[in-house]
Amino acid sequence: MSAITLSNVTKRYGAVQVVHGVDLEIDKGEFVVLLGPSGCGKTTTLRMVAGLEDVTGGKLSIGGQVVNDVAPKDRGVAMVFQNYALYPHMTVRQNMEFALRPLKLGADEVERRINETAEILGLSELLARKPAQLSGGQRQRVAMGRAMVRTPDVFLFDEPLSNLDAKLRTQVRWEIGKLHQRLGTTVLYVTHDQVEAMTLADKIVIMRDGYVEQVGTPEEVYSNPKTSFVATFIGSPSMNMIDARITDGRIEADGFSHPVPTRFAGRVTEGQDVTIGIRPISIELAHADDERALPATVEVTEFLGNEALLDLRVGTHELVAEIPAEQRVPSGTKTHIRLNFDLAHFFDAGTGRSLNAE
Amino acid sequence: MSAPSKRQTVLVYLLLAVVLIVFLTPIYLIASSSVKPSPIMFQKPPAFLFTPTLEHYESLFGMRPFAKFMLNSLVVSFGSTAFSLTFGTLAAYAISRIRHKRMNDVAFWILSMRMFPPIAVVVPYYIIFKTVGLLDTPLALIIVYSTANIPLTVWLMKGFFDEVPMALEEAAAVDGYGLFETFWRITLPLAAPGLAVSAVFCFVFSWNEFLFALMLTGSEAQTVTVAVMSFWSSDAVQWGRIMAGSFIILIPGVIFVLTCQRWLVRGLTMGSVK
Ligand SMILES: Nc1ncnc2c1ncn2[C@@H]1O[C@H](COP(=O)(O)OP(=O)(O)OP(=O)(O)O)[C@@H](O)[C@H]1O
Ligand SMILES: [Mg+2]
Repeated sequence: MSAITLSNVTKRYGAVQVVHGVDLEIDKGEFVVLLGPSGCGKTTTLRMVAGLEDVTGGKLSIGGQVVNDVAPKDRGVAMVFQNYALYPHMTVRQNMEFALRPLKLGADEVERRINETAEILGLSELLARKPAQLSGGQRQRVAMGRAMVRTPDVFLFDEPLSNLDAKLRTQVRWEIGKLHQRLGTTVLYVTHDQVEAMTLADKIVIMRDGYVEQVGTPEEVYSNPKTSFVATFIGSPSMNMIDARITDGRIEADGFSHPVPTRFAGRVTEGQDVTIGIRPISIELAHADDERALPATVEVTEFLGNEALLDLRVGTHELVAEIPAEQRVPSGTKTHIRLNFDLAHFFDAGTGRSLNAE
Repeated sequence: MSAPSKRQTVLVYLLLAVVLIVFLTPIYLIASSSVKPSPIMFQKPPAFLFTPTLEHYESLFGMRPFAKFMLNSLVVSFGSTAFSLTFGTLAAYAISRIRHKRMNDVAFWILSMRMFPPIAVVVPYYIIFKTVGLLDTPLALIIVYSTANIPLTVWLMKGFFDEVPMALEEAAAVDGYGLFETFWRITLPLAAPGLAVSAVFCFVFSWNEFLFALMLTGSEAQTVTVAVMSFWSSDAVQWGRIMAGSFIILIPGVIFVLTCQRWLVRGLTMGSVK
C-alpha cells in the first residue's frame, strides 16, 4: 500500500491554475523530492498534502484513505517549514511538548521522546532556550525535532535548508539523509536545489509550470531525461542543447552534420526538427586531423580543481565542455573538439520529448 | 547611536522635569487639598505645611453611599473591559485572517461607530434603556461603553494579529490543533501586548466617562465620576469632599495600568520565522 497517492490533483487560485493534474505514488518509507524552478507549484503541492491548501480537483490519499476534506490535524503528517515557524513564546522543550500534546501520551513517554530527539539532533543543551536565542542552524534542527518527536507517518519538508549557509547546508543535508535511513519514515521533500534532490531522493519528481515532467530515480532523471527541460535542469553545468534537423538520414546542425546513430533509426523522421543534448562531460578536445573534429574557440577557461570548464564557441553554437583539468587550454585558444554522439540525447524540437529509447 | 553628551543629558532631564511638573501638580493639589483642614483650604498663599486631617474622607464615606458608587464604577469598568476584550478580540481575529476584498470595509464600518459625537446619541440611548427597563443599571453603562471600546479593541488587536505569522498557525494545525486551540495557545499569547494596551484604554475610558453616566444613571447605578460632581450643588461647593473623592478615583486606574504594564513587552514574535 502506498503512503501517499495523488491522482490527477489540481490547484486553482481564482482563474489561475497553478497545479495541473499531478499523478504521484509514494511508497511507504520512500524519500521523494519535488524538484523544480521557482514558482512551479512545489510548495502548493506539498501544502495540499499537509492540508493547508484545499485541493481543487482530483484525489489525494494518505495511508490509503482519501483526505481531500480531512483537516491537517487529522492527517498524521508532520511538516518542517521553510522559515521554521517555531513558537517564539515557548522554549525548545515546550515547542516539542506542544507538538506531542495532541497525541495524549504519558508524561514519561513525552519526556523520553523529547530527550531522545534532542540527543539525536544535538539539542540537549538548548532545551531551555527560546527560538530567539538560537542560531539559524539550531532553529532548523529544532524545527526538525518538533516534527520528529511525533513519529509521524509522513514527513513534509519545504526547502528546509534554504536559510542555511553553504557549509551548514551540506551538513544538515547529510543529517537528514541519515535520519531517514534510521527512522524509515516516508518523506516528501521540496527543493529547487538539484544537489539536495540527487543526494537525498529515492525518487525525484521534476515539476515545471504546475506539470510533472518526469518521475524517476536520481539515476534515471540524469541518464534518461524524458524531456529537454529535465535534461537541462538536472546536471551541472547544464546539458548543451543544439538545434538540428534530420536530412537524408543525417543530423544537420548549423556548421556540422553527423549520421543518425543506429539506436535512433526508426525513431526520427525525415525533416524532423530535433534538439541534440550533449552533457559537458561528453565533449572532448580532439586532434585537428580527426575527421569528426570541429573547430572551436575557447572563450573562457574555468579551473575547478579536478576538472576545468571550457566555454566554447563552435560556429554559431555556444557550448560548455567539462574536461580533466590537466588537459585545459588557456582562454582564447583555437582548438578542435569532438562531440560524443554515443552519449548524446535527442529531443523533438516541438514537444521537447526525448527520442531516446526508454 | 553615540552616547549622549553631558549637555544633552541635562537637557533631557530638564525636559522630563517640566513634563512631570505639568502632570503631577494637579495630582499634588488634589492629594494635599483632600487632607487640608477646611478653614485653611483657600488661604492665600496656599499653606504647604499643615496638620493633615481625614475629615473629608470621613464625611465622604459617612454622608453618602460613596462605597456603593465606587463599586458601581468598578463593576461597569471591569464589565465593559471584559466584554469589549472578548468580542473585540474575536472580531479582530476574524478581520485579520479572513481574506475577502470587502474586509477592509467591515473594519472601517466598525471604526466609524467610534466617530459620531456621544452627545448625539444620549437621548436615543435614554429612550431605549427606559423602554427596556435598563435605566439606572450598571448593565446599561456596560453596553454603552462597549460600543465605544469594541471598535478600539478591534483596531488595536487587528494590528497585533496581523503581526503574528500565518506560518505559526499552520504549524499548529499540522501539529494537531484545531482552529480555536491554535488561536488560544499560539495567536493570542503572541498578541498579549495588544490585549494589555486594549485593556488599559477600555478601562480608563469606562472609569473616566461622565456624560453617559450622568444621563443614564440615578441613585442606584451612579458611578464615582458623577457622584463627585454632585458635591457641587447650587448652594455650596464641598471642595474638601471633591478632592477626597477625586483622589480615591485615581487609585484603581493607577493599579490597573501598573498591572497591565508588565504585558507591554515588545518583540514577542522574535525568532519564530526567519
Ligand atoms: N495564494 C495564492 N494566490 C495566487 N497564486 C498563488 C498563491 N500561492 C501561490 N500562487 C502561485 O502559484 C504558483 C506556484 O507557487 P508555489 O509557491 O507552489 O511555487 P514553488 O514551486 O514552491 O516556488 P519556490 O521555489 O519559489 O518556493 C506561483 O506562480 C505562485 O505565484
Ligand atoms: Mg516554495
